[in-house]
Amino acid sequence: MVVDKELLDILACPKCKGRIKLNEKKDGLVCEKCRLVYPIKDDIPVMLVDEATALN
Amino acid sequence: MELESIKKIYAGYSNVYDALFKRFFYPRIKHAISYMDIKPGDRILDVGVGTGLSLSVFPRYCKVVGIDLSTEMLRKAKEKIEANHLNNIKVMSMDAMCVGFKDDSFDKVFISHVVTVVPDPYKVMSEVRRVCRKGGQVVIVNHFKSKNKVIETVEKIINPVCKKIGWRSDLCLNEFLDKSGLNVKQKYMLKKLDFWHIVFATNEK
Repeated sequence: MVVDKELLDILACPKCKGRIKLNEKKDGLVCEKCRLVYPIKDDIPVMLVDEATALN
Repeated sequence: MELESIKKIYAGYSNVYDALFKRFFYPRIKHAISYMDIKPGDRILDVGVGTGLSLSVFPRYCKVVGIDLSTEMLRKAKEKIEANHLNNIKVMSMDAMCVGFKDDSFDKVFISHVVTVVPDPYKVMSEVRRVCRKGGQVVIVNHFKSKNKVIETVEKIINPVCKKIGWRSDLCLNEFLDKSGLNVKQKYMLKKLDFWHIVFATNEK
């Protein structure tokens, strides 16, 4: 698994430094506060604010 | 230099980076990591991991997260992780000036050849100090402006070229370390006439 629990425990939203969680499809990391989804591309999480998409 | 330009430069480098830079960068990277006081279970952040030249040097008993702005470079790092079964290492794309980790997440931070290729080196160091725990180790391998007349002359000549490929050579080591607020334990070069400094420091908070 690309993002396991141990990694999730230390990951934060790069924008607000708040909690993030895996989305249901497990292809993105979600910051509910910023309403952003950080994509996981080819098993590499892309934690860049300018590449995040809006959370529906 | 803006982030988009940096991304483009390193996407272009990703296929030739190892061939071009392994000879120059790897000996110092290997030396610095070998002399880090890595303990079993330590969590280590490798800032600017690139194509993963450093990854095989870390002992298997620590956990490493490598970050880099360039996803193309990280793909190469991932190939190395898979080929060598480095299950203790993960990589992800992040901006070193805006890191996506909680405070105090790492015991040690290794940062090689980064502070002179980013728009704001002090923002990077502020993030490094934030995510490294109090008393944690910060190790820097980088080129800084030389005090040696011969190297200074070479730097002046190559500076326009360096700027084009995204490097700056005018960052002064002592000023950088003072402003970074790190407690420097050791700083040296591997050879008397070298372009690169190695710095071992403690993160006092």
